[in-house]
Amino acid sequence: MKLIQIFLLIALIIILISYIRWFRSAALDKILIAIILLTGMCFVVFPDVTTRMANWLGVGRGADLLFYIAIVAFSYTLLLLYSKTKVLEKQIASLVRKQSLMEAESENKNDKL
Amino acid sequence: MKPSSIYIIVPVYNEATVVEQTIIDLLKYPYSIILVDDGSTDNVQEIVKKYPIIFIKHSLNLGQGAALQTGMEMAKRLNAEIVIHFDADGQHNSDNIKNIIEPIFNNECDVVFGSRFLKKEDDQKIPFNKKVVLKTARYINWIFTGILLSDAHNGLRALNKNALEKIVITENKMAHASEILFEVKKYKLRYKEVPVTINYTKYSTQKGQKGMNAINIFFDLLFKKSGL
Repeated sequence: MKLIQIFLLIALIIILISYIRWFRSAALDKILIAIILLTGMCFVVFPDVTTRMANWLGVGRGADLLFYIAIVAFSYTLLLLYSKTKVLEKQIASLVRKQSLMEAESENKNDKL
Repeated sequence: MKPSSIYIIVPVYNEATVVEQTIIDLLKYPYSIILVDDGSTDNVQEIVKKYPIIFIKHSLNLGQGAALQTGMEMAKRLNAEIVIHFDADGQHNSDNIKNIIEPIFNNECDVVFGSRFLKKEDDQKIPFNKKVVLKTARYINWIFTGILLSDAHNGLRALNKNALEKIVITENKMAHASEILFEVKKYKLRYKEVPVTINYTKYSTQKGQKGMNAINIFFDLLFKKSGL
């Protein structure tokens, strides 16, 4: 086993453990993440598998195939995060709005109404 | 219609130096004023406390769109007949208010947009780079909303009760100006543009929108249109 394989394996194991141990998420998400990371570990241990898959799909090297998949996955994740941020922004806005209106109404009652 | 049921909504963010002048100017008229402090960190609250206005404070800075929506919520609760959006930074001229509400009084339309480009002498006052940005924004808005206004992002506008009940601003930041057009189209509201004069003071030019911000607005709209 090459040194890089050991590094990658350790990194993937740490990510898997910390995700399952510390991040609260739905059971389905945990299973999905576990499958993705375990597949990743398989690819690290048996790099020839990715090369064979790549050739079958018409890509020269396994590493290139993984790179292409990573780009797609990254873009998707980015959009997902963006839309979640937008939802959060809206929720924060409506909270801030509610609070500010309540305060303004109670102040105005004291003042002149 | 009582003049006090016409509400001028003034969003303000860290503009303590000019907001007082704007309020004094607006108080010449018998209309009600709602000042929405969008999470300012300066002493705007102390400055405006002594004036007979409705003061609302956001605990966080959300953006001008969000501040206008808060003002509109308050106006709805107070049974407003007309609301007017008015910038705090001194670039809007209070003399324009009567022109902008007149089409609503005559029941010609539900929403009135101010425009800098309808009168030649107003048009000439606009700095060149500002003009390029505004002209571009105009066509971007047209692509997205199908409404071609002569002035894309003029913050001075008036809404009647019908429009006030329907239009909801969800774009917290500057894309709200285009969002209002979406809403106008969605609810088939009648709209009209009237000429207004904008004062390009040194302060408002510095504080106003930078050209690059048009790009931000473009992407906000793109994502909105595609539902993301």
